Formats: sequence, structure tokens, C-alpha cells
Amino acid sequence: MNRLEKLIVLDQRFLFTLTSYFLILAIYINLNALKSPAIGAVVFVLYFLINGIFLGHAFFDKEEAFFRLMFGVLSLIMLLGFVGWVVMMIYNLDATESALVLFITATLSSLLNGRMKHKNAT
Amino acid sequence: MPPRKPRSTSFLRISQFLYLFLTVLLFYLLILSRTGETQTVWQVLHPAFVPTLFVTTYLLLTIIFTSEKTTNKLFFIMIHSILIHSLFSIIFPAGDLSGQQMILGRTRRVFDNTILHGFSGWPTATIQVFIVELFIGTNLQAALSTIFARTLSIDILYVHLFFIPVLWGMFIPVASFLTAKVMGLGEKASVLSSLLVSAFPYTIYFGAISVPNSLGFIFFFYSLYLMLRHLSTSDSRTTHWMLIFSFFSFLSHYLTGIMSFSLLFLTLAFKVYEGEKKPSPINARILLMVSFVVCVSLLPLSFIYMRFIVSNSQAVFTLDKFYELPFQEIIGLFFLGELVHGFDLKTILLVIVGPALAFLWMIYQLYRLKRNLNDKFRIHICFLFTAFLIILVDYRILKLFMSGLPLNEERLWVFNDFIAAPFVALAIYEVVSSIKAFLKARSPPTLSIATLKAIRERSKALSKGDIFRVVGLFFSGLLFTVGVLSPLFLAGWMTASLSASYPQVAPLQTTWYELEAVKYIEENTHEKYVVIGDIWTIFAGERIVGINNPKAYYFGEYSKIGHDLFVNMSRDPSPQWMLWSMNYTNTKVAYFIVTEPRLGTEEFNGILSKAKESGLQVYGRPEGFGNGKLYVFSYGEE
Repeated sequence: MNRLEKLIVLDQRFLFTLTSYFLILAIYINLNALKSPAIGAVVFVLYFLINGIFLGHAFFDKEEAFFRLMFGVLSLIMLLGFVGWVVMMIYNLDATESALVLFITATLSSLLNGRMKHKNAT
Repeated sequence: MPPRKPRSTSFLRISQFLYLFLTVLLFYLLILSRTGETQTVWQVLHPAFVPTLFVTTYLLLTIIFTSEKTTNKLFFIMIHSILIHSLFSIIFPAGDLSGQQMILGRTRRVFDNTILHGFSGWPTATIQVFIVELFIGTNLQAALSTIFARTLSIDILYVHLFFIPVLWGMFIPVASFLTAKVMGLGEKASVLSSLLVSAFPYTIYFGAISVPNSLGFIFFFYSLYLMLRHLSTSDSRTTHWMLIFSFFSFLSHYLTGIMSFSLLFLTLAFKVYEGEKKPSPINARILLMVSFVVCVSLLPLSFIYMRFIVSNSQAVFTLDKFYELPFQEIIGLFFLGELVHGFDLKTILLVIVGPALAFLWMIYQLYRLKRNLNDKFRIHICFLFTAFLIILVDYRILKLFMSGLPLNEERLWVFNDFIAAPFVALAIYEVVSSIKAFLKARSPPTLSIATLKAIRERSKALSKGDIFRVVGLFFSGLLFTVGVLSPLFLAGWMTASLSASYPQVAPLQTTWYELEAVKYIEENTHEKYVVIGDIWTIFAGERIVGINNPKAYYFGEYSKIGHDLFVNMSRDPSPQWMLWSMNYTNTKVAYFIVTEPRLGTEEFNGILSKAKESGLQVYGRPEGFGNGKLYVFSYGEE
């Protein structure tokens, strides 16, 4: 678990950020064409794992690994909720807008993780 | 030769495997209990569920008291917590017949894209109402549920039903563990606290229904944990997250938001008190007392201020209850609150035993800490005790001195339960540990079967050493009994709490034939339509098409027009009311739904014959839905 977390947090060449974007694309295609809950469950877990770890590292790096992940996932839920709430208030939350919410959240998570990584390096 | 595993590790692995197996079995038993026509979960719950749950909880408690890794223990507790909060969601086809179905009705509109800019509960007459609408918790929950449903590519119903049970099960035990840890409890006591938070009936209930208030409780508990952390650290990140969680608890529900802000204020007061108590102790104490009064008054006053913003709030301060109710009832309300009204003794005990034990233990802790003023956890205990008192006082104010509140005051119990859980865990852990230590000190270090035999053989002429051994044996027996009985007692308590948390009496839940009829109408009507039905029909409609949907119109749950239309149709089932409703809602077709179990056979048959006499067409199935328990009549173009 720790090794996986380190790998994700390092995000070399934005591999995991790009994976997140790919997952959003998969969610969008699944939602419009395949409509498979099995695919949905897999991408949901992966999306939450990557971005939860990003946020856990960005804000709760001093906690133990398990609690870091829990806080990361909870803050991801909060971020998703907040961005979703704003987008919904502006217009609505159809398939495209939902993908947009996931994209904004993934980008913010990656940026925050990158900022923390940079902070640790200097 | 590889090293042999210690026997205790093997036992632990077997216990864990058995625990997981039993949990899967419990979920399976819940699925077997699933039904489309019942009033309470208890009427249809598989008879093996409660005994299996008791054994599973007992196993979990024995795992908790081993040296297993804390994270593994928490993982097991999370599974247990999700299980006990999922009874409504698994057994009933549309979840509990309560506020959660109303929220589903609104979320459905967002998910189906039949509404723009979030859900508005009432027309935006003023800027204040517009701002309130922005911040009503329904919108945050609807946004989250919709995003989850789209990501998973499943219907919003399933996400909505399991939204709170899963989030609660995952995050509340962790919050309870962290709160206990920051109070200075040991690892095992903190893990026990994370399990015992599921021993409070009202808290279990709120973890089982997907309403914004429950989401707010989750954020509140984390803000409470961060407040405690803030008291002992000046880390800016803790402060930021404390504010963020408080904001989200407000965004989820105003009740949790106001309580969060109230305790935030208290945290700041305690922080100032800590700095001021040495240079000017009197000022520091006055500050603390003033803060207490401010914190207590924040919630009641906010209900009063709500009247100026939201039209449906009629909260006022009043002494009416003192004039109207008998003295005994006032006393009962003061001590037990709503529990005085028709609850059995078992339920009353189960609801009050946790908070009462916690309250006593808090006082004991404060007394103990009086001798140790430099204890670094003293401030945490004092803070939690004050917070507990604030909620106790607020509950009494709302219950006895106010009326017209937009929610039931008992929701405040959940805040107290969160604070109580670590103290109950501490009390139980310390008492059991003390008894064990006492007995251990008086037991022989080892006691073999040979010794027992020897004692029995020589029982006629016991020497001094033998007497010592017999006494030792007695204490060992007691030690063993305490070791076995304490998890048994806790497992029994937790299982009994479950029976008090899910209602024993309830109206008939949304039935399969109500859902079938509503779905049939939706799938086979191509024009805009309106449905006239009782509140139960509206709940069923909320599951399928949402509330106030202009294409498939169901009146609001508390709409007077909707209610009057149904009453008029029941008395005089003629096309005139259906025509009126079509004109009112700008629709082309009107449906009228009557259900036998809701109305009673006599009234149901009377309406049926009158409707047929007045020329209304039976819609869908001539024999009715649900083997004739529900009939749909239609009028207008189809």
C-alpha cells in the first residue's frame, strides 16, 4: 500500500494525472454508450484511489497512511460535492457537466499534490 | 525449518475469517428479508439475523481486544457499521418512508435533468430566500449523489439509498477513533469507541437514512475532532480544516452548521482561556461563562432569525407547554425528552444509558483531573463536557420553551452521542481493565489441570498452600468470566440498540405495486400528466420521476392543493377534479390512484364503485395492480 501510495504521489510525467483523465473519458463513454455498472465500479474505485491519495498527501501528509487515505477520500468527496454544487447552481449536472466536475476535481487534486511535492523537494 | 506461527495468531486469523464469513452471511440474510410490502424491518427480518449479528459483534469485540493492527480493526468495524446502517436500504424497495424519500424526489429531478440550477423548494420571492436556497443541504447531497451515480453508471435510487449508510459506516467510526485518540485514550479504548458509536439508537437511525442532516453529522464529527486538535496545537492546517469541515457541515444542513459554529466559538474561547487563566484567572473564567451563554443561545436564536428569511419557519419562544401540560409531563420532558411519549422501558434505557454513562464518567474525569491541573488532556475533557452541557441545555430550551420548530429536537441527541462514545469506551475499558488487574494480581501465574486434580484429591485435608491455590482458582475463574462476559455484554447491548433504532411501529412502506403503477404510468404516457394520490403515492412517484416534475406532475408532500384534490376525488371521484388539476398543472392527462391498504377496504371499494359510476376509465390493468390492491383511473388525452 505504501509503495503504491508513493508511486501515485510521485506522479512521474503526470502518469497518474493522465490516468485520472483517461478514467473520466472512460466514465463518459460508459455513461453514454456502454452503461455498465461493472466498468463504472472499477473506474470509480480507481478515480477515488488516485485522487484521494493526491489530496491525502497534499493536506494530511503527517498522518498515518490509513488515516491519510481516509482524509484524502473524504476531502475528495467534499471537493467533488463543492464543485458539483457550483456547476449545478450555474446550470445542471448532466453527463457532460458531471464529467467536467470530475475533470476539475482531478486537475485540482493533481495541482495540490504537485504543490506539496514541490514544497517537499525544496 | 520455518518458524511456527504463535497459536494466538492462528486463533486471530480464524476469528477474522469467521467474522468476515458471518458478515457476508448477514448481508445475505438482509437480501433474503427484502420485501415489497411491509411496515417495519422487524416484520420481515430473517429470524437468524439478530442471533447471527450478536455472534458477529461478539467476534468483532474479541478481535478488538487482541493485538491486531489498529487499521485492520477499524476496517472490520467499518464493515460492521455499514451492515447495521443498511437495513432500510436493503429490505425496503424505496428505503425508509421518511424524509429520505423526499430528498430522493428532489435528487431524481437533478439526475434526470428535469431541473436547472438545483432544486428550489419554494418560489424565490426575495434575495434572502434565493440565498437560503443556494445553501439548502438538499443541493449538496443531490450534486454528490448525481456525480456518484453517473460515475458508477447506475440509477440514482441505489446511490441515494446507500449514500449515507456507506459514508457513515466508513467515516463515523474513524472520526470516533480519532476523537478518542486526541482525548488521550489508548489504542484499544479508541477502537472500542469507534465501535460503540454504533450503540446509540438515534445515531444508528440517522446513519441509515440518506438525508442532508446525516451528511452534516459526518462533517460535524470531523470538525469536532479538529476542534479538539486545535486546542492542543497551533498548527494552521488544523485550523483551516476545522473551518472547512464546519463550513461543509453548514452546507449540508443548517442544524449541524449552527452547532459546528457554536462549538467553533467555544473552541476559540477555550483557547483564549488557556492563555489568560494564569495572568488573570477571574477574567478568563468570566470569558468562559459568557462564551457558554453565547454558545447555548446560538441555536435557539437562529431558529427565531430563520422566520425573517424562510417563510415556512414559525419558531417562537413560548411558555405554552408549561400552561398546557401537566406537571409530571413537564418533569418527564425535562429529564427524558420525547421518550416520555409512549416509548417502552427497554427503548428508554437503551437511548439514555450511553449518554448517562458518558456524563457520569465526564464528571469523574473532571474530578480526577482536579488533582492534576497540568494534565495535557484536561482541556479536551473540559471542552467536551461543556459542549455536552450546551447540547443538553439547548435540547431543553427547544423542547420546553419553543414551538413551531422546523425539525424535531431529538436530532440534538446525535451530537451528544458523538461526544458520549469516547467516554463510554473509556469508562468500560477502565472498569474492565481495573477488574482484570485486580483479579490477575490474586490469581496464580499458571494453573494446570494437574494442580486442579491435586486440589480435588486432597480437598478433605487442605493445607495452607492448597487454600491459596483454591482462592487463586476462584479469582482465575472470575478473570475468565469477566474476559468472556464483557464482550458478551457489549455485543448484547449493541444488538439490543439495533432493535431500538429501527422503528417497531410504522405506516406501510412504499409497496411494490405502488411503484409498479407509477412506473407503468411513466412508461406508457407520452403527454404531460398529473397524478392525484395520497402522500404514499407521492412518495412512490418521487422514486420514479421526482417531485413537481412539469412533465410528470406529483404534488409536493405537504401541498394543500394536492391534498385537497385527493380528498375531493375520494368523496366525489368525477372528471371535474381531474380536469381542474390538468388546467392547474398545464398537463394533458390526469391519473387518480387509490390503494386499498392505505384507505381500508370499505372506503377503497366505495371509491371504486363511485369512480366507475361517474365514467372514469380504469387505466393500465383492468384487474388493478398488486392483485387488485391498487387501481389507477385516467382522464384526458393519452
